[in-house]
Amino acid sequence: MGGNTLLHGAGGERHLLLGNEAIVRGALEAGVQMVSCYPGTPSSEVPDTFARLAGEGTFRLEYSVNEKVAMEIAAGGALAGAKSLVTMKHVGLNVAADPLFTAAYTGLPGGLVVLSADDPGCHSSQNEQDNRYFARAASLPCFEPASAQEAKDMTCAAFELARRLQQPVLLRTTTRVSHVRGPVLFGDLPDEPSSVPFIREPGRFVPVPAVARRRHAALNTQMEEARKAAEASPFNQEREPAAPCRLGVIASSVARDYLADALVEGGWEDRVRVLELGMTWPLPLDKIGNFLRKCDRILVLEEGEPLLEESICVLAQRLGLKLEVQGKDRVLTNQGEYSVPLVMQRLAAWLETECPVHPVHTPEPDLPGRPPNLCAGCAHRAVYFAVRRVFGDDACYSSDIGCYTLGLLPPLRMADFLLCMGSSISAGSGFARASGKPVVGFIGDSTFFHSGMTGLANALFNKHDLLLVILDNDTTAMTGHQPNPGMVQEALGESGNHLDIESAVRGLGVTQCVKVKAYNLKAVTRALEEMKSKSGVRVIIAEEPCVLYARRRLKKAQAQVATVVQQGAEAQRCLEELACPAFCRKDGNIAVDETLCTGCMLCLQVAPNAFKAKKR
Amino acid sequence: MSTSKNKRLRIYFTGVGGQGTLTATKLLADAALEAGLDVVAGEVHGMAQRGGVVESVLMLGGWRSPRLDLGEADVLLGFEPLETLRGLPYLKPGGAIFSSSDALPPLSVSLGQAAYPGMTHIKAQAQQIAGICRFMPCRSLGQQAGSVQSGNTVLLSAVCASGILPFGTEALEAAIRNTLPSRLQDVNLKALELGLSI
Repeated sequence: MGGNTLLHGAGGERHLLLGNEAIVRGALEAGVQMVSCYPGTPSSEVPDTFARLAGEGTFRLEYSVNEKVAMEIAAGGALAGAKSLVTMKHVGLNVAADPLFTAAYTGLPGGLVVLSADDPGCHSSQNEQDNRYFARAASLPCFEPASAQEAKDMTCAAFELARRLQQPVLLRTTTRVSHVRGPVLFGDLPDEPSSVPFIREPGRFVPVPAVARRRHAALNTQMEEARKAAEASPFNQEREPAAPCRLGVIASSVARDYLADALVEGGWEDRVRVLELGMTWPLPLDKIGNFLRKCDRILVLEEGEPLLEESICVLAQRLGLKLEVQGKDRVLTNQGEYSVPLVMQRLAAWLETECPVHPVHTPEPDLPGRPPNLCAGCAHRAVYFAVRRVFGDDACYSSDIGCYTLGLLPPLRMADFLLCMGSSISAGSGFARASGKPVVGFIGDSTFFHSGMTGLANALFNKHDLLLVILDNDTTAMTGHQPNPGMVQEALGESGNHLDIESAVRGLGVTQCVKVKAYNLKAVTRALEEMKSKSGVRVIIAEEPCVLYARRRLKKAQAQVATVVQQGAEAQRCLEELACPAFCRKDGNIAVDETLCTGCMLCLQVAPNAFKAKKR
Repeated sequence: MSTSKNKRLRIYFTGVGGQGTLTATKLLADAALEAGLDVVAGEVHGMAQRGGVVESVLMLGGWRSPRLDLGEADVLLGFEPLETLRGLPYLKPGGAIFSSSDALPPLSVSLGQAAYPGMTHIKAQAQQIAGICRFMPCRSLGQQAGSVQSGNTVLLSAVCASGILPFGTEALEAAIRNTLPSRLQDVNLKALELGLSI
């Protein structure tokens, strides 16, 4: 979607938008003034779309170094009276939880909306945690859109509530909603965004224990106001069947979509009454109670954990209603995503009726797969190849979050364990201390600034024994080349200051630190061998811009590509050890696909007799 | 297959990362919107790096779910033949297949660890399940139009021209003119022409 349309499109226009783009439009309609983020799939298109508009918009945007910082930046903005938005993926909210829980106590006069993009099914995440728990744990009003239109509308509603109640509001999407594409009817843009002037009130905004106790009570009062908003919310809708019926289905988030389609496909629309919940915290207890009174049996449809289901059981018990509540079972579990067929299967069993079955063509077994792989010319491959040659299976490899996690795959096999952003250093330190084995950790530049520095400080302080390889590719590659402090100044331009990783490492107190060019196999190998013979905290910084980034953003490309000059064992071994996607076969012979080869010339260094460089 | 505007139709797209599968999905969604249809599309971004499988879906005529399961697609659009074969279980038996016949072998094939299934086998499997089955050399047709990526538009054009969707190539042409950047329009309009003549 063109930036102009989002920024200037008038109320009444209708455009096809990605769910995440619709959130941007909603924020603009709400008059957002501050946006901060740490990128992460499936949330990244929100800040990236704002970034495309940033030259013209009246909002301020920043890519913060991590989610906690992003949360504090946005909360600070909202304290100063600006309507603020902070975006992150679900696991990012774990990082940002500390300021968020207390911001709910102090309240934020400008209004803060927190986007958490959850990932049921782990499409691009290390877990599928259900962040609706955060709404309950921190007392955050929560909206859960299920379409592109709702993504826009609920963003507007979330801002309205955040400003009115001065409470942080959670906007919770899932991958399917972040990446749905649908028509969105625009509302009007505001004339001018309005701030709330800051009034000094330490008795509210400085939560020392005496203040915090009072603020907890104030929070409870505000959440009761939020519940009234949920009772009246147009996003919580009941649908009466044509004929009287005492079977009720309650659904939230994208499960509402699966339910709607399943009812049509099964021809069951008139057999159940439906309550769709779009504003899901605090629960509209009166509305739900009224619904329950009209039912004998309830089926709850929600992806993730049985949160609604359990709340509804409690409510039914409190209201003294004798009804049967079902939800999670062996068909609809807390794992992965729901789908129309799964919901149909569940509904059919619950309605005690036949489920229409589609014949399904049997998948062909053993088709050659396309697992994700490091790109052709990726500098991580060069470093990993050298590490495997120097350390082999003697060392344990502590990985981190980024493209380089893909080093896990054979033939490189450069990841033995991984927890979260920044864990390579600290989990690696703990592992080395307990096992006595050599540990090599890998971390990217963005992740190093995200939460690697604290782990490195700890490793020095507590005298850990770890070799850390910082894979510095100048950008946040995995999520689409967002800026981070390690990015070169020419790429950052006016938007930020470049920070030097080596200075940070040495500044913390690392004395054993070498910087190498990742494509220089000899230099990388020499550095690794030197560090292998030492102990304590050691750091190798391997520099080379991400190949995609170099080509697309820095407009840098090599004039030469690799070519095979000699078939045979050496070429074959190189192919097997590097598994570069630019290798291919032509008429049975090993060849290099020139359209994919980036000219990194790693293969020439690994197999000098088999490969030569040639002009593109 | 009825071409009524009320017909509920689900389309499954599959291809290889970097091919432009998602751009093609958006273009066909825009074409459907031009034709006044209810549209919902779904895609998954992220870990599918270049070279991985990229799938997306487009639902027409009043669906709400941005997701499609095995045996549910009325139409399968394959931008790479191996991915067409892998995606066959998504097709409703008797549905339509429009696929590229230009192979992009995965790395395991280059490494000699796996064999790429033959085109005869892929076509036979496709014909076994599909009511309509069309294979065309999209990459080379795209090159003929001016860029490899525009081969996707050749495929979209062919499916629009076939009459199985509730709209024709006029809507696709309008979408190209209204939503693609101007530098890409000529090559895609040329690709659209090529798709008509297949």
